[in-house]
Amino acid sequence: MRLPRLLAAAAVSMIFAASASAQDTIKIGANLPMSGPNAEYGELFGSAANLAVEHANADKMLSKKLVIQFEDSQALPQHGVVAMNKLVNVEKVPFVLSAFTGVSKAIAPVGDKAKVVSVNGGGIGPDLAELGDYFWNVIPLVNLEIRVLAPYVVKERGFKRVSIVYVDDPAGEAVCKELAENVPRAGGELVAELQIPRNAQQFTSIAAKVREAKPDLVVIASFGAQQAQIIKQLRDNGVSQQLASYSAFSSPSLTQLPEAMGAIFPTQSVDWSAPGLSQRVAKDWKAKTGKEPNAYVANYYNAVMVFVTLAQALEKSGQPITGENLLKQRKANGTFDLVGGKMEFLPNGSVSMPIQINEIDGGVGKLVKAGVMAN
Amino acid sequence: MLLLQLLVNGLQLGAIYALTAVGFSLIFGATKIFHVAHGAAFTIAGYLFWWGVATVHLPWPVAALLATVAAVVFGLMMERVVYRPIQRHEASFFTVFIAAFGVQIIVQNLIGMIFGRSFVSVTTSLSRSVEVLPGLFIAPVAVISILVALAFFTVLTLYLARTHMGMAMRALSENPDLVRVFGLDPARVSQYAFAIGSAIVVPGAILTSMTAGLNPAIGAHVMLISLAATIVGGIGSLRGAAYGGMLLGLAENLALWILDPQWSEAVTFVVLFLFIIFKPSGFLGRPLGAK
Repeated sequence: MRLPRLLAAAAVSMIFAASASAQDTIKIGANLPMSGPNAEYGELFGSAANLAVEHANADKMLSKKLVIQFEDSQALPQHGVVAMNKLVNVEKVPFVLSAFTGVSKAIAPVGDKAKVVSVNGGGIGPDLAELGDYFWNVIPLVNLEIRVLAPYVVKERGFKRVSIVYVDDPAGEAVCKELAENVPRAGGELVAELQIPRNAQQFTSIAAKVREAKPDLVVIASFGAQQAQIIKQLRDNGVSQQLASYSAFSSPSLTQLPEAMGAIFPTQSVDWSAPGLSQRVAKDWKAKTGKEPNAYVANYYNAVMVFVTLAQALEKSGQPITGENLLKQRKANGTFDLVGGKMEFLPNGSVSMPIQINEIDGGVGKLVKAGVMAN
Repeated sequence: MLLLQLLVNGLQLGAIYALTAVGFSLIFGATKIFHVAHGAAFTIAGYLFWWGVATVHLPWPVAALLATVAAVVFGLMMERVVYRPIQRHEASFFTVFIAAFGVQIIVQNLIGMIFGRSFVSVTTSLSRSVEVLPGLFIAPVAVISILVALAFFTVLTLYLARTHMGMAMRALSENPDLVRVFGLDPARVSQYAFAIGSAIVVPGAILTSMTAGLNPAIGAHVMLISLAATIVGGIGSLRGAAYGGMLLGLAENLALWILDPQWSEAVTFVVLFLFIIFKPSGFLGRPLGAK
């Protein structure tokens, strides 16, 4: 009889301890891919968000300790919705970090219904600007990236014949659609549109189709392990043309891939040498990871800091930190001081930022065209 | 020329699929264990080869040996630690399936934690294609894949036909009691099947590390192809699994001759469904109900 009693007492004390610790913290959620072929992104995004939490707690920006509850979306919409339901209904968080276009589109109605704010720092589909009041983006969407990339490659680099290999997912389709509009507008021609399944791993025959189209430039619109597989197999199988993509090319494993050297990709402009917050984040990120920070680090750091800024204001005015109040406060707040300078949300919850063009050089990317605003 | 190129690509991919499918088919055929964690053996072998060559700069044969030892040890551990205790207690198909599936996920996460979650590949000139005819590109690794597959099937076929243990493996699937009558221990024969079946994924894993590259989640895809090839080829037939793997590789690539690329993967399953509907016993399997 003794052991069951001891176990029961231990269980009760653990429940009390957990509940006391929950009362001493402010919790936000993160719905990121922590396993599967896109886990690399989850690790990167989560580390950036954790750095922001460390800074917020070290600076005592909120009355209680800030913590993040991570859930694994596997970058798949159905897993994302399960994770979102847990964060909203069990963990009762007012604010969730999101990533990937497909996942973000799937979880937005759940957040909207529960009045929980979701903030995307990695998905790029233009539809993400139209997911309702409770869905915000701290990353410029792909329509803005392609409006800068297309004139650059066609007019400044002279790549008139463009082909695209894109994944059958909202992100890939969005890049293809934007390219189909913007390449002809810049004076070029989209000569091949090759759509591939999301789980495909073999691209030797795709290389043959690309070679057959005789393009000057090959745009790859995928993400995670798949985009690296496409690059390697295109290069191994006789595709020697210039490669390009959208901001997904800034993933660390891709920038180190020998076959990807020289590929170009747009990202938002982030001046890491700017004094203050940008320099602090760059320094601490390098100390933690040994690597230079990229645009994704800025996005997920900024996403957490948007929450901290709004929660701070709500605490100051004595209002509870709920999704509804966070939305009201965002509309009242105007601009935010974040990594990369001041940021202001558009009425639809997205942001507009200067876009720069980078080239893969084995590091975080060499700047080849300074940031400009998309037309 | 595109058709010829697709044919060459299909043969290369088919050879790799065949190598992975044969290992699964050998284990399933001999032991009747649905070894879903076969994909995990592939992942372990591929990652250890990559680690050996790209990170610690071991000579290729040493890295290949390391990968083989790891795959064989994994297969033997699965048989001894996971499947045998389950079979001793209840031997339910679903218990075995869930246990193996769980191991596959654990291996995926361990590989991610140890080697990182991103894409890795072995950089080698063997995977670089050269233009042998106008518009026809062939990499040395394509020829190597086909030759390696042929060599392994020949050796395996001879082993199963000419050695006592090979014959015992074939007998085990038919009648374990008969194996005992001949003085052999079915558990030992089963271990041989796991060891050889796991070792035979190694060439496929090594070739994949050079061509398509690896990621921790690759095991699930490998398992899917192995299972499809085994069904298409005929459950229990090694030759059938090899033909099945080759057919799937060819179908996936030749489909691009008339279909858009997004259909290439669906073609694999169309082939599978056609076999399930019209020839459920596969290429070389026995008709259902036959004894």
